[in-house]
This record gives sequence, structure tokens and C-alpha cells, in this order.
Amino acid sequence: MKRMSLSAFCRLTLGLLPLLAFSAGCTSEKRTSGNTSVRKIAVIPKGTSHEFWKSVNFGAQKAAQEIGDVEIIWKGPVVESDTGSQIEVVKDMITRGVDGIVLAPNQKGGLVDAVEESVGEGIPVVIFDSGLDEGPKISGYVATDNFKGGQMAADALAKAIGESGNVVLLRYLAGSESTEQRENGFLEAIAMYPEINVISSDQYGGENSTQAKEKVDQLLQLHGDALEGIFAVCEPNANGTLEAIKNAGLAGKVKFIAFDPSDALIEGMRNGSVHGIVLQDPVEMGYQGVKTMIAALNGNATEEFQSTGEYLATPENMDEETYQRLLKPQIVD
Amino acid sequence: MTENQPSADQRKANPLLKFLGRLGPAYALLVVVGLFSVLDHQFGSQSFFSARNARVIANSAALVAVPAMGMTMIIIAGGIDLSAGTALTLCGTALALAFRDYTVPVGAEDATYWVVCALAVGLGVGIACGLINGLIIALAEIVPFIVTLGTMTIFLGIGQVIASESTVYPETEHLPDWMRYLCYTGSNSDRYWFDWLHVPSSALIAIVLGIGVAMLMHFTVFGRNMVAIGSNPATARLCGIRVGMTTVAVYAFAGIFVAAGALLYFANVKNGNPSDGTGKELEIIAAVVLGGGSLSGGRGSVFGTVVGALIIKTIGSGCTMLSIPNTYTHIIIGVIIIIAVLIDGLRSGKPKWLFDRLR
Repeated sequence: MKRMSLSAFCRLTLGLLPLLAFSAGCTSEKRTSGNTSVRKIAVIPKGTSHEFWKSVNFGAQKAAQEIGDVEIIWKGPVVESDTGSQIEVVKDMITRGVDGIVLAPNQKGGLVDAVEESVGEGIPVVIFDSGLDEGPKISGYVATDNFKGGQMAADALAKAIGESGNVVLLRYLAGSESTEQRENGFLEAIAMYPEINVISSDQYGGENSTQAKEKVDQLLQLHGDALEGIFAVCEPNANGTLEAIKNAGLAGKVKFIAFDPSDALIEGMRNGSVHGIVLQDPVEMGYQGVKTMIAALNGNATEEFQSTGEYLATPENMDEETYQRLLKPQIVD
Repeated sequence: MTENQPSADQRKANPLLKFLGRLGPAYALLVVVGLFSVLDHQFGSQSFFSARNARVIANSAALVAVPAMGMTMIIIAGGIDLSAGTALTLCGTALALAFRDYTVPVGAEDATYWVVCALAVGLGVGIACGLINGLIIALAEIVPFIVTLGTMTIFLGIGQVIASESTVYPETEHLPDWMRYLCYTGSNSDRYWFDWLHVPSSALIAIVLGIGVAMLMHFTVFGRNMVAIGSNPATARLCGIRVGMTTVAVYAFAGIFVAAGALLYFANVKNGNPSDGTGKELEIIAAVVLGGGSLSGGRGSVFGTVVGALIIKTIGSGCTMLSIPNTYTHIIIGVIIIIAVLIDGLRSGKPKWLFDRLR
């Protein structure tokens, strides 16, 4: 009996050794600087599965080629709601000893400590697309003026429905700074129209189009006949909304403004089920993000906030060259 | 049961060899670490085999390993808990709510009292989730897979209700520093529990809890009963073990680890999002299985589970260092899980057709 318990004890102490061995003895820090001529910039999107981020990647690669001697490391979580994975990616990039991190935070609060860790290790961080809570000293913020984008959407929707009637705002996810700005901008601008009534503004479409479609199905069920217009604040949301509107047979009747393009939405604009798309410039965002990072690394001061512009595509202007470029931004495969 | 009965030869075998034979998953970890170190040195960033990366991996492995310890007990006892992921984020959401609405800023009077209360709420939710699972399984005599499949969505739903279908953000200034830096992996000594030992606090918690569970499994009657009901519930009952009571206790006990895991999750992402948990249970179960746990019960070890979690996270980290895209990382992890279980099966004479042919 005694022997058994002794061996058992042996096993468990030895058993947990790897974890200790794995993590202990880390007081001596070594950073392999490698060849310093090529600067490695990690560009971390919110997620890797949407077209939007592939355009950001394109812009980042473009900047890298222009500057020369810059290598872009492109890595992000698969789904945009996965804050834990994004924190892991940031930490891995610090481990890789990159020269700078260009990050689109999934959540304004969740990434604060990861960014602080990075800045603490001497790796500067530029934030793009979506804001970060106060705290760590970041080297720049490159994004669409989302508040303004939301206001533009409100004006476009008001125009489409003749400045009177019931409208719905479909939100995205709680805690996503960029879409919250759009939502706030929309609500503020729509309040300027006394005849327009926002009948629902507390529904979240969720991270994918399937969830968004279910939400809009319910909303149409509930408000169907009394509804004049819908604003969906981002691409997955808008795709789901478009599907739901089509299914309910309300295409064209319910005026619909989207944010960010997709093939389905562009097609919708051609056949009259979409009445406007607010566009951002993701290529410019990736481009400016990397440019800002290089400027910061070179010790040049950068402006705190850089807007990459926001545009409204309508069925009338969608064939113009500027809008064609933004409706189908170039992507990296 | 057969796997647990040492044959006459094995009993005579050198205890050292026997001991080394039990370290199976650890060899796999060594192989994975070695492989990635070489590959990374040749083609990657040369930063895989570094102290910092060890810290990062230890931290992310701890996030999986802690709830997986509870799962190990459940699996050894012949059960399964598909609700672990959503129960974990339910706990995390409860913690976030407690830190948003019911605590006071750090430094204020009674701050410690409220922090303790918040932690107690998290722990209570965890144990309650486990207790519910255990009671339904034991009283209704439904297979654990179905019961926990049901509670998985129930916990998700409850989480969404208390979070009003969104993400709960706590007040940052209400979080004490030790909790804020629980998952810190940087080089600032002040943020570790021991400034001379740069090990993430999350990993330290995992080690302490791991030793606790291993002791429980080996030295207590409760621990041995767990193995007994997992190996053969009928025999266990005939031996005078109260199978139902033990089952309930195992699930409730596992709830403690779900709650501890929730604390780490919360300290990592600093918010509570109930839908984050979907899919976590599979990672947790994968860690147990990689560590040699058998889903038919009676076999598994806490040490193996910890190593299993390390293997999963090491592969993920290695793939990042080598700039392998996410998509391939998923495929690689899946393949390794299947291969690991296959190799593990060889030790106990599986697959049978192969051994029959060799004979």
C-alpha cells in the first residue's frame, strides 16, 4: 500500500513538471534581433473571413511594396467575435519580435491589456478600423469616421423614404466600437427628421448573416406593413437583412441602406432592393495603417486620428469610377 | 476494465519502465516542441523556442487546462460534459456582471469584501451548473451526453438572458491588479505573483489546481470511487459504492474548475460574452483525450490533460510562428488528435484487425 501511494505521488509531482519546466526559468530575456534591414509589421484584422479585411491586406501589402524592406505578417482570428484568439495573436506577434503591430481591435476593452503588453515590450501599436479604450499609448489611429458614415446613412434613408415613416436600426455586436459609432451617428442624424420614427434600435444582428437574417425575419414579422426603411450597420448584417427582405416579398417596398459592399448588395442595388451603401476605403485603411506605423518607427510624429474617408453609393452613381473602385476593392487572396 | 488490470508480466516489470510508459502524452509534447523548434529555426521567426513563447503558451494552455481538469474527472467517471464551454462563459458573464454592478472601485472602503463576493458568485454559478448536470444524470438516469447537450444550450440561454443578449463590460477600475494581470506574459516583473519567477499567474493557478486534483484522484476514497464507477458502474455498485451520489459529486466538483476557468477567461478578455463558450467544450474534451483519457471511462489523468492542453496550444503557436494560415492550423490540430488517440490505442491492442493480422 505504501509503495503504491509513493509511486503515485512520484507520478503526480513528476507529472506536473513539464508545465513548470515549460514556463519557469524565464527571467533571462533574449530577443533575437535578426537582420534589422527588413522591418516586420504585423497587421492583425478583426477576423480573416470577410472580404473587407482582404482589401485591408491588399492596402497593407501595397504600402509595404512602396516603402520597401517591409514585410507584412498577416494574421487574425477566424471569427470576429473571438476576442480570446485575437489576444493570443497579439501575444504571438510580440513573441515573434515584430517591429510594429497594426491592429483592428475586436473589442475596445478586451484588447487594452494586450496592447499595453506590446507597448511595454517596446513594440509600437497603430490601431485601425475600430477604436480602443483609453489606456496604452498608441502610435496612431486610422479609421473611417464611422459616426459621419452613420449620419450619411440616416440622410440617405430619410431621402429614400421621403422623410417620413417608421425605420429600423439593426445593430451589430455590443462592444464593437466602429459599429457603435455608426449606430450613434445614424440615431443622431435621423432624429433631425421629425416625421421619421425609429421603431426598433435595440436589436443586434450578430456576427454572421444567418443570425442577422433570423433577427430581421422577426422584425419584419413584427412591424412588416408599418415599416418604411432599414439600416444595417455592416456587411454580414446587411447580407442577412437583404435575404430577409427578399424572403418577405418586401424588396423595393422597404427601403434599405447598407454599410460596406458585397456582391449580393451590389446586385441588390441594380435590381432596386438596396437603396444605398455607405462605403469605406479598406485599401486606404491598410495602406495608411502601415504608413503610419513606419512613420512612428522613423520617429515622425503622426496625427492622432486619420480618417480614410466615407462615401455613399446609390443606384444612380454606382457606375462612376470612384464608386466602382470602392464597391469592388482589390483583395489579396 | 481490462485496460486497468495489469497483466502478470507488467506487474513484474521494472517500476521505472512502467512509470516511463505512463508518460505517453509527454513524449508527444516533446516531439511537437522539438519539431516546431527545428522548423521555426530553419524557416520561421526563430522565436518559437524562447522563454517568452513558453509563457504565452503556458498561459493559453492554462485557460484550457483548468476547466479540462474538471472534465478529466467527469470522463474518468464515465461521463462527458458538453455544457462545460457555455457553463464557463455563463460563469464569466456572472463575474462580469458582478464586477459591473455590485463592486466598488479598487482602493475604496470594502473593496476586497466586494471582490470576494463577486468571486463567490462566480464559484457558486459554476458549482450550480455542475450540480444541475449531475442531479439530472443521476436522478433521471439519462446518458450524460444528452443531458449536457441540453444544459449546453440552457446555460447559453441563461447567459444571454442575464447579459441582455450582448457582452457585459465590467468597470475596469473595479478589477484588482492581481486579476487584471492574471494572464500577463510580458517582461515587467511587478506584474507577476513572484517577481523572481516569470510564470504567468494563470499557469501557477493551473499547477496548484492540477496537483490538488491529482492528489484527490489518487489518495482519497472519493477519487478511487470515481475510477471505479467509470470502469464499471455495475461492479462499483456491487462493491458498495453509491454510484448516484458519486456522480452528482463529480459533476458538482467539476463545476469548481469550470468556475476557475471562467475566472481566467474573464481576466483574459476582461468581459463576459455568453456566446463565446460555444465550441470551447470541444477544445476542453480534446485536451483530455490527447492526454490519454478514454471516453468509455475509467482511464485518464490530470497530468495527461495538462500536457494535452499544452500540445494543442503549442501547435497553434508554432503554426503562427511559421506563418501557417488559420485554416491549416485547424486541419493540423484535428489530424494530431486522431493520430494521438490511434497511437494510444496501439498500447491496448487496438485496432483489433491489425493485431489479429500481425499475430
